[in-house]
Amino acid sequence: MSKREIPEINAGSMADIAFLLLIFFLVTTTMDKDAGYLRQIPKKLDIEMEKPPKVEEKNIYEIKINDRQEMFVRDSILPVEEIDNLHRRIKHFFLANRGKSAGERKLNYPYYANITRQVIDGGLAQVNAEIERIEAEMERDPSDYWGQYYELQMNKLSEWEKKQRAFDLYSESGATIMPEIAREAHIRIVPQIATDYSAFIAIQSEIQRAITEMRDEESMKLFNIKYSTMEKFYEQNKNEDMPTILPLYKERLELLKILFPEKIIEVAPKN
Amino acid sequence: MSKFKKNEGKSAPAINTSSLPDIVFMLLFFFMVATTTKDIDPMVRINNATGVGLTDLTPYKQRSEVDFVYLGKPIVGDASKFDKGVAVQYDGILGNIDKIDEWKSDKYTQKPKGFATPKEKVVTCFKVDEQVPVGILFDAKKELQNADFNTIAYHAAERGNNKGYSIDNN
Repeated sequence: MSKREIPEINAGSMADIAFLLLIFFLVTTTMDKDAGYLRQIPKKLDIEMEKPPKVEEKNIYEIKINDRQEMFVRDSILPVEEIDNLHRRIKHFFLANRGKSAGERKLNYPYYANITRQVIDGGLAQVNAEIERIEAEMERDPSDYWGQYYELQMNKLSEWEKKQRAFDLYSESGATIMPEIAREAHIRIVPQIATDYSAFIAIQSEIQRAITEMRDEESMKLFNIKYSTMEKFYEQNKNEDMPTILPLYKERLELLKILFPEKIIEVAPKN
Repeated sequence: MSKFKKNEGKSAPAINTSSLPDIVFMLLFFFMVATTTKDIDPMVRINNATGVGLTDLTPYKQRSEVDFVYLGKPIVGDASKFDKGVAVQYDGILGNIDKIDEWKSDKYTQKPKGFATPKEKVVTCFKVDEQVPVGILFDAKKELQNADFNTIAYHAAERGNNKGYSIDNN
């Protein structure tokens, strides 16, 4: 067989093809990222509640905003130019009584409870006893009467178990007391119907900033890694197979969420 | 006498373009990585509100756990046809806010097979023009609550480092 030379392929039109592809992608895609503030809507209730439970004034951080975007925060007016300071004020609301003894705590800020091993063990024992009692009752009386109550206690149990896991992680560094903010402490946004979306988002942004900063600082102290870094990693790799790092991050995130809960109530504006 | 030869009549040598495809491919890959596909054409005008500390919704999008709804003034047509002058875009249709629960339920039944996320965890993302009154969002939240869709997201754009919030206070 004679040696034949392979002719060179003309690649001059390669650029044209690539350009076509490039222009196709330029037209069909957008640059902007989809990002936002994730929020929960409370579950709907089957029973109409007559009166909402009373919450003490010191546990509420109220942000009122009217249809001219003027804000009234807790006990003072906040000019629009100074909205950048709102996150510092929210942080102060959360941290004012943190780690303070009963004598020196401030009266108009939420109190902290000192969670110890005994508190958690006691809580767990109490819930377990209650569940056993209901199970016995349910065996005697198979009607629907006890169902809802049983569910409530099961929720309580899982909450205590969560708290136990968080405490285990928290006490790894040698601490014996875990500070926990009052259950009722929350941030309340009270807009009006004609409040602009941009102002509403600005408030959401400042709240998010305050909570993330507090979690980040605590996380740096405990684990030497930022909360936001762990959360981002966890969200992106949630469904991947990483048997060591994912459960660890999940537990840490849960602990930080218990230490600095994100409780926001958005009050629906009245007509 | 001159040392320099005048090379009249000789054409300039052709520029080698063999690396042009490489350059273009590089551009192409950059755009493929840096952008996301546009799912629908907007029918309402939206100027994004700005904020910091946003949650990236891309992972939710990849798991198709998020539905987008758009609120703003319509680009074509009369705004006064809609409640409070705010049109709500459900995929390709403009409507009022009270249809949101039906639209969400339809979307949920159309999810791909093997989609296991419960109803209350599927995110409804509101993409809202910065001047829309928030009252309409609370109407939407009420509808969603009654239909057991309990997770929402308020869409916003990342705020620049030295810029303030885009609040128009008159």
